Order: sequence, then structure tokens, then C-alpha cells
Amino acid sequence: MDHEELGTPQQKKGYSRREMLKMSALAGGGIALGASGLGAALELFGDKAATDPANESKIPFFATHQAGVTTAQQGYGYLAAFDIDPSIHDVAKIMALFITWTRLAATLIQGKREINSSNKELPPNDTNEARDLGAANLTITFGLGHSFFMKNGKDRFGLASQMPKQLTPMPRIAHETLDQSISNGDICVQICADIQQVAFHALRNLIKEALGTANIRWMETGFLNGPKGKTPRNLFGFKDGTANVTDPDDQNKVVWTSSDEPKWMRGGTYLGYRKIKMIIETWDRDSYSDQEQVIGRKKNSGAAFGRTHEHEPVIISKQPGDSHVGLAHQTGQKIYRRAYSYTNGIQPATGNLDAGLLFISYQNKPQESFIPMLRVLGKSDALNEYIDHVATGLFAIPAGIKKNEYFAQHLFE
Amino acid sequence: MKSQKKMVFLLLIAILLLPVITACGSTQKSSSSKTSQATNDPVKQGTNKMKQLNNKLQAALKKNDTDAIKKYGKQINTQWLSYENGVRDRFPLQYAKIERYQQPIYAQSNLADPDVAQIKENSTALTGQLNDLLTAKETKTKPSKQMDQAVDDYLKYADEQIDMLVKTTKPFVKAVKAGDVEKAKKLYTLPRIYYERAEPIAESFGDLDPAIDARINDVDNVSKWTGFHEIERALWEKNSLKGQSKYADKLMTDVLDLQKKSKTFKLTPKAMVAGAMELLEEAATSKITGEEERYSHTDLVDLQANVDGSEAVYQAAIPALNEGHKDLANQIDKQFQAFDKQMLKYKKSDTEYEDYTKLSKDQIREISNELSKLSKLMAQTAKIF
Repeated sequence: MDHEELGTPQQKKGYSRREMLKMSALAGGGIALGASGLGAALELFGDKAATDPANESKIPFFATHQAGVTTAQQGYGYLAAFDIDPSIHDVAKIMALFITWTRLAATLIQGKREINSSNKELPPNDTNEARDLGAANLTITFGLGHSFFMKNGKDRFGLASQMPKQLTPMPRIAHETLDQSISNGDICVQICADIQQVAFHALRNLIKEALGTANIRWMETGFLNGPKGKTPRNLFGFKDGTANVTDPDDQNKVVWTSSDEPKWMRGGTYLGYRKIKMIIETWDRDSYSDQEQVIGRKKNSGAAFGRTHEHEPVIISKQPGDSHVGLAHQTGQKIYRRAYSYTNGIQPATGNLDAGLLFISYQNKPQESFIPMLRVLGKSDALNEYIDHVATGLFAIPAGIKKNEYFAQHLFE
Repeated sequence: MKSQKKMVFLLLIAILLLPVITACGSTQKSSSSKTSQATNDPVKQGTNKMKQLNNKLQAALKKNDTDAIKKYGKQINTQWLSYENGVRDRFPLQYAKIERYQQPIYAQSNLADPDVAQIKENSTALTGQLNDLLTAKETKTKPSKQMDQAVDDYLKYADEQIDMLVKTTKPFVKAVKAGDVEKAKKLYTLPRIYYERAEPIAESFGDLDPAIDARINDVDNVSKWTGFHEIERALWEKNSLKGQSKYADKLMTDVLDLQKKSKTFKLTPKAMVAGAMELLEEAATSKITGEEERYSHTDLVDLQANVDGSEAVYQAAIPALNEGHKDLANQIDKQFQAFDKQMLKYKKSDTEYEDYTKLSKDQIREISNELSKLSKLMAQTAKIF
């Protein structure tokens, strides 16, 4: 086992117990470094042979960019937002939480867990449902919302001068029916894995750790499966994410932020989020040809109108009026889509399905791409007849976390 | 500042008096308050200030001056918060007793219409406790005996609650048997408070808890359903006490049975701490959802009582927590305060809180959040084992 790979802020020699204790002193005596606090160590793998080797796939946690953005999309995703507890006015307590979360995330993405106390009267530190399931390509991606910096016109923690340049509250968009209780939030966490239970386990343990400093505001669950290496389909039956850029140079242009952002935000990105309820029954009764007209692509191949292959560029002049793809391309901007489908039982009033898309996109300039695109689509997208935007969010995703550092460290220090 | 000058003056007098008083010796209990003015000990100093404020409170009580009563009730709380950590560290036993009388005074002081008689009672008791604290010796219970002491203290608390349960169930039962719906409604919540505070004890006696406290969905045969909630339904849903006499009699019998059994009840320290967690779980599952008191909607009364009951365990465990877990004790203490503060928003009197159905989703979530924070911290009290 590569020891370097196992580095977590608390274990490594350079940054460690002493640093953590310093942090904890900084944060004041009462700081909740958590049940799995300073002394917690990593538990080593149990029975290796018993685990499906496929699920041992790991995505490195410490990297230039945060994992879970351009990472090959896993089959299951959770998106959750947290609000800082009203009792917290001291930035040191938030730093302490981010240290704890970083340590926990670095542990979990290796398919490991925190060990329990030898005192069996205490609650267990780890909830145990992911034991022996492996890492399953788990990624944990952290972000900050506008309300983390500014709330009710106030600079909450003295960090407003470090606000990412493109981070704003989400503007009003035509044709949205937002539920604020499942929108926005101070902090967001996206957790994805090839096994749903592994992803849930990670989120659950992050929630448990954070309580009292940051409390869960909302949580959404999604799934998306496609043939290996091919674009997956959403619940409308169309390919979703065809236009995504895969070349690292292109990703630098579309996804990752650079020198126009505050230092701590460079090499990061922005997560744009819309929960889009699909009016599934109406869609299912629409004709095949109209469905293609509405989207602007062929349903089976994913090719744009006037093309035969999925990845051939869109010809705007060949697009049916107000088609989804046509309108999106008119903005001339690109985004990196990473959506998940969701289902949530039926709507009791109608008996119709409650299902749709957790639209998640990553881009370095949301004010020039994501938001203008929403504006255009909100006004005239032919698809609006079949969808309703019910939740929203925009979060700054800082650069990747280096070994021995913690999430958003350079925002604070 | 005027008050500063006064302090300096008092201190000077105190220093001058010091040899005289020491000569008098400490046998005279009445002089103890004077003695302690001479000390630099922050606990004694703080306690003297508490006494002064408590005297002012009593003067206000005599004049029946509600504004002054509220003012001093709040000032006593501020004063207590300013030095209570020192008391908790060094005099944990006295600490719990002072909290017991001080907290209700503060709670009443925040109400539009405070219960003056109750404040009077607590203020008198507080005087006694403050005097005890002034003369208390800093004795450390041996760690081996600490847990036994904690259980004894807690059981004493639980016994008192069950005695009060019996005392307050009697008039309630009487009103039910007399068919007086309005009176019975008024008398319903008080015994509920005492029951909910001591519920872990009742739960130890197999059938007693369900017989006294089962909700309609806890039973498979509604015709065999008994206890508070059966009468609650009659009162609020049916608005009639017809046929309720037998349930009232059964309730009285069961409550008396509980009292009898609890007198000889033995509790292990681990079970005591587990009981505190049970109370918080109860609060977080059936009270915060409005399920417990689904007809009377007095869930917040029960919720507060559950939290009070768990606080009694925490207070009993303070001497043990002081051994290496002072920081945790401090956090728990702050969180009980934060919780109580949250609940004060909805409190009208000890027996009356805002109707559960009048709370907004956000308000319920706010209470739930404070409760979760409390539970998370309280779960860590098991560190004493």
C-alpha cells in the first residue's frame, strides 16, 4: 500500500496532531472536533479477498482539482447543502469542521472508515453500512454558496473580500417554481460512487460530524447509468452530456478557474444546480417526432438535427425553433454537464410520477454561461412544457486539496 | 462608575474587617456572608452578589412589583452565568442544587405573567443553597464513589418527580371523575410534566409505562387502551368525560404503583446515562413531531420535561465529568441553556407552551436542531465510563 496515498492532514508528520491541536485551541476550548476527533485513526482493510475488485477503484482525494467534477461519472450521486449553525460566529469553528471533513473524506474515499472508541458505552464513530463494500470510485466534492460569505447584506465571517468573482445569489429565471427549502445553502457537498450505499454512507457520516457547526439543509439523490464510455441517457430517454469537453486544455477553458479569481479559488470551478421536475406522463404521451423536435437531437443516436453522429457539432440553422439544444447553443458558451436522474415516488394529488433531473453543471464563468443559458431556456425552451424548475443553487468549488491541507484552507489563511 | 466605587469601598471594608471576623470564627452561620466578602475567591464573591440580587428579588416579591421581580430574576441569571463554571468545577453538588432553583426563577422572569408564588418558593430555597455554597468545603468525592453518588442524586430527583406525579394526578383524576371537562383540561399537563421527566424509571417496570402513557398507535386493541392519552382523547377530541371514571381510577392505581415500586428501585450508572439519552430520543421522535399529545397539542410541555429529565442526569454526572471532561461539561451546559432559550419563545407558563399545531415548519426545525445538538453532546457523557 502506498503510504503517500494514505496521507491525511492529521496523520502526516508535517501537519498533524500538533497543528490540529493548535487549530482546536484557536477555535476555543469547546470546539467539536467530533466523536471521531483527534485520536481517531484509520481502520485498515478487513477481508480483501471478499471484496469485489471492481469496487476497489479509488479516485485520489488530494489533487490539483477537486474530484467529482471531470471524473468519469459514477452511477449514483448525492447532492446536499448545509447551513452554518446560527450559534457559530467564529470562523475557527468552521475551519475545524473543514479539517474534520477533509480528514473524514480522505479516509472514506479509500473505502476506509473511522475506528470506534474502545468505550462501548459511546456511540460508534462510523455507521458501518459501507463496511466491505470498497471505495467504489467514491468522490466527495465541497463547495461554498453566496450565503456563506454574505447573509442579509452582512459580511458574516469577514471573508466577503475573498468572495469568488462569479458567485452571486441565483437571479430570478422565467418559468421556475422554486422551493427555497430545497434550494441554495451555505455549503454544498456532492458525493458520487458506483455503489449507492457507499455514497450515502459518506454523506451520512459527514452530516453526523457537522451537526452543530453546519446542519443539513437539503439532500437529493440521483442515479445515472450508461454503457461504458458512452453518453448516459436521462429520463426523457435522450443522451445527456454529449457536448461535454474531455480534452484537458478544453476543460481549462470551460471548467477550471484561473488568475481572475482570488488566489484560493484558482483551479476551482462553479457548480450550477437546478432540480428539474419532469412532467413524465405528458412527455410519454408526446409523439416520437415531437420529442426529437423539442430536444433538437435524434432520440437514439443523439445526433443533432442535420447530423448523423452524436458528437458532430450542432448546426444552429438546422435546429427546430426553440429546441432545447438549439437555444442552449445560441449562447455560444459551454458548460460541463454532470446531471443525475431522480425519482421520488408519486405525486399524491395526481398519481403522476415525481421524477426528473438533478441538473448539475460545472463551469468557470457561470455568469457568462450557466445563468445566461438558463435565462434563454427559461423564456422560450420548447421543453418548458414538460419540465418545472423546482430548486436552484450556485456554489463555488475551490481548487483541489493538497496533501496535508484542508478544504478551503487558503480562504482562511 | 458608581458601582465600581462601591466595590472598592466594600473591598476596603472587607480587608479592614478581616482580622476581626476571623477572630469571631466561623461558628456563627449568620456571619458567613460577611466573611466571604473578605475573600478573593471568585466563587464566594459571585455567590455574595447572587445573594444581594436575591435579597432585592425578595424585596420586590414583598412589594409584589412584577417589573422589579422580572428584572432581578434576570439579573440573578446573568450573575450566575458569569461564574457558574467555577462552581461546577469545584462544588458540583451545590452547583446542581442552585441550578434547580435559579433556572425556574429565570424562566418565570421571562414570562409576561410570571408565577409569583413559585418564584417566592424558589427564591427562598435559593437563599438556603447560596448560604450552603458559601460555607461548603471543596471536597472531592473519590472517583470510585462518584458514580454511586451520581446515581443517588439522580434517584432522589426521580423520586421527587414521581411524588409530584402522584400529588398532581390526584386532582386531575378527581376532575375527570366529576365529569368536569374544563377543569380536567387545565389539570392535565402538570402530571404530564412530572411523568415525562422521570419516564426512564417508569419504563423499567414492564407494563406500567404503557398502562400510563401509551398512545393510541402503541396498542393493538384500542378497547384495552388506558392511561393519560386515553383521557386526553376524551377531553379534547370527544369533549366529554362520559365513561372515563374507570380510566381515571386505573390511572391513579398505576401511578401509585409506580411510586411504590420506584422507592426500592436500583439503577446502575450506565442505565442512568442511557436513560438520559432515552429521554432525548423520546423528545426527538414523538414530541417534536406532535405525536405524543395529538389531541391536546401540549407537546412542547412534554418536550421540555424530557429535556429537564436528561439535564438532571447531566447534573448528577458533573463530578464524574469534571474528571477529564470539563470541556464536554461546559459544552453540554451551554447547549442546555441554548435549548431552554429556544423554548422560552413558546413558553407561557410552566404548564402552558404554544400549541404544537401553531408552530411553523421552520420553528419546529429550529427546536429540532437545538435538540439534536444537545443529543449529540449528551451521547458523549458516556466518556465517564
